[in-house]
Amino acid sequence: MTMSEQTKSPAAAEIWDRILKKIFSPEDETPVDDSRRHALRTILGAAAGMAAMAVPLAASAAATDQAQAPENATPHKWGMAIDLDRCTGCGGCTVACRTENNVPTADPAHGDDNRGIYWMDMLISTKGSYPHLETEMMPIPCMHCEDAPCVKVCPVGATFINEEGIVAQIWDRCIGCRYCQSACPYSRRYFNWETPEFPESLRSTLNPDVATRPRGVVEKCTFCHHRVRKTKEHAKAEAKTLTDADFQYLPACAQACPAKAITFGDLNDPESEVSRLHENPRATRLLEELGTKPKVVYLRETKWRE
Amino acid sequence: MARIDETKNELPLGIGKFGLGFMISAACLLSVIGFGIFAYYQQLTHGLIVTGLRTIGSGGASWGLYVAFDVVFVGVSFAGITIASLIRLLGIKDLKPIARIAELLTITSLLMGALVILADLGRPLDGLLKLPRLARPMSPFFGTFTMVIGGYLFASMVYFYLAGRSDAFYCAARAKRFAWVYRIWASGFKGTPAEYRRHHDVSYWMSLFILPLLVTAHSTLGFIFGIQAGRPGWFSTLQAPGFVVMAGISGIGMLIVITAIIRKTLHLEDTISEHAFRWLGNFVWILVLVYLYFIIAEELTISYAGGTKEREYTNALMFGPYAHLFWTAIGSLVLTFAILFIQFARGKVSIGWSVAAGLIVNVAAVLKRYLLVVPSQTHGMLIDYPPGKYSPSWVEISVILGLVALATFLYVLFVKVFPIVPVSEHEISETNPGVRSPRQGLRVALTAFCLLGGISLAVFGFAISARAFTKPYADPIIPFSPVLFIVGLMMTFYSGAVYETLPPEKGPPS
Repeated sequence: MTMSEQTKSPAAAEIWDRILKKIFSPEDETPVDDSRRHALRTILGAAAGMAAMAVPLAASAAATDQAQAPENATPHKWGMAIDLDRCTGCGGCTVACRTENNVPTADPAHGDDNRGIYWMDMLISTKGSYPHLETEMMPIPCMHCEDAPCVKVCPVGATFINEEGIVAQIWDRCIGCRYCQSACPYSRRYFNWETPEFPESLRSTLNPDVATRPRGVVEKCTFCHHRVRKTKEHAKAEAKTLTDADFQYLPACAQACPAKAITFGDLNDPESEVSRLHENPRATRLLEELGTKPKVVYLRETKWRE
Repeated sequence: MARIDETKNELPLGIGKFGLGFMISAACLLSVIGFGIFAYYQQLTHGLIVTGLRTIGSGGASWGLYVAFDVVFVGVSFAGITIASLIRLLGIKDLKPIARIAELLTITSLLMGALVILADLGRPLDGLLKLPRLARPMSPFFGTFTMVIGGYLFASMVYFYLAGRSDAFYCAARAKRFAWVYRIWASGFKGTPAEYRRHHDVSYWMSLFILPLLVTAHSTLGFIFGIQAGRPGWFSTLQAPGFVVMAGISGIGMLIVITAIIRKTLHLEDTISEHAFRWLGNFVWILVLVYLYFIIAEELTISYAGGTKEREYTNALMFGPYAHLFWTAIGSLVLTFAILFIQFARGKVSIGWSVAAGLIVNVAAVLKRYLLVVPSQTHGMLIDYPPGKYSPSWVEISVILGLVALATFLYVLFVKVFPIVPVSEHEISETNPGVRSPRQGLRVALTAFCLLGGISLAVFGFAISARAFTKPYADPIIPFSPVLFIVGLMMTFYSGAVYETLPPEKGPPS
């Protein structure tokens, strides 16, 4: 029996277990203000069994959380710039993204029925007819809007803008109403219409840093948040100062791009390459008139659309 | 009032008599419901892949028949409580006998509205648990599930319960079996003049409170679509007012049909006069005229000065793949208007034609809702994605048919256990003026406590749900705060029942 078969027909006891777990130990809390909650949980847990040890435990838990808090006063604000004049339309970014983020395959057998999931998609538009045909390719990730319509409409707060400006989502909190999907003007959100399946040959390449999403939730690009976190942890362990170069090609799509068309970085750092590109006169934002303030800009010299 | 043979000490209107006709129709309805449950089970085990829904942008619509029918069900519910309130506030005597028919329509269709939204969720169990725990008023969805289900449905039920007490008292005296059920509903009603007076007062005030709630509830549903700037076809100020008007059209249209059926099958020709149909018909044609005006105003604005994408969407709607549905809907609306307006102009009412108009206008309503939900997702994209298409699968159609059958079954069952038209005199009239009790201290105090407590709890619950006192995007400081809001709303509306049903105080008999 494969894993997907098991998840498709859970036993009654298993369902009941899930219900109880959902009520009494929800795992989908917003990771805002984690230190306070962590400390509280430690205190409650300790008080139940080891009343004597409660105080030092809680104190130490609070202390470690304090130590882990970011020391720089201005947090990062991640942004991206995609140079369409450099882009060759190879589609490497879409493949890299799929592999990095455990996005289920979209081959004809699995969900190419207009139900495939593409965190990074390639928007192909053609103009004119043969022989005067113009085809334009445009990599299109989540825009990570500062005033994101999807975040506004989520009825349970499953998606939110985190302290580093990433439009993040708690997969397990999503109830699957798909409101965010219809609210997103860029159509950058994807719903898991069925239980995601990974062919046997791809199982070994699943990324352990990224959770797979269950059936019935909406998912999207995270700006490779896990890579950002990992980079910061490594730098901390090695007592190294992070520079813009550490982040410039950090997300999987940017790393894979052979033309170096995708640049990533901190918009709060005026010296970073991405901030410079955001100020570039070639820079435009998609649907800027909606006021969603996307943090992804496109650079192009040539005319894109009349 | 229904003419009841007072000499026979029996329950009126065939209550409790389950004949062959009822059994056959119940069996048919139950088999449709059963198939709907089977279809939903398929969806539950395989996921929403069994529906015709697809990803927006990749060539589909992620909301379809379920959401369209949520709007339909909530829309139909408009009729009941509006008619009940209008009768009370404007004193329309001709409509009095159909008040309960209308109120029951509100309650059953609102229940279906709640169920169909559950059917639409990707994770229904999580929805049931997380909406009460975390729902945010910043999302227009909040209004649908708290105001519509918590406030609107509960207020209708309280109103329904209070209005039914005197008939429950009447039935309790005559029922041979299950008399205790009627006694519970009557809840101490004895038919004293003071009770009549209190019911009169409470229903008046509740009607005043319910009318704004009605506009709010239907508008919140409209705002779900109307405030999405990224969707040409949805983004429009007219969405919320249009929802209220269309709800009135479909609800009152449906009420005409149901009233005619009940009048025919229960032989209530003397009780429900043709004047009732004239009133309902007039409401419908006026509202249809307003709605047609809305459509013209909107299409004119878009075609004269709309953006590129707005025009593309309107082209798809009026001349593209949705043209046949759009023009059928418009044609049905015009036809309904013609039938009912001619009746009005000639000063004669034909029940057959009124029923036809009621049915036609509901076809138009279903089509309009479908056209509201789907085309904007398939053709209303601001980015150059290829247009999509959507057609509902057998699962979606079966679930919807199952819900319609369930609503019908519940309705018929209720008609079989409780008088659907008032059988006892419970209104204030010249012959029955009623009196106010002299000593009301405790009653007024408890009612005020319930009313003010309810309002404060609702405001408090709303503020906490709206993440007051927390960082942005943090969870509310009190979990399950949306429940506080709903309970507050419920308490507010229950205060009417507190005033009316408290047993009389000790003192000189009034």
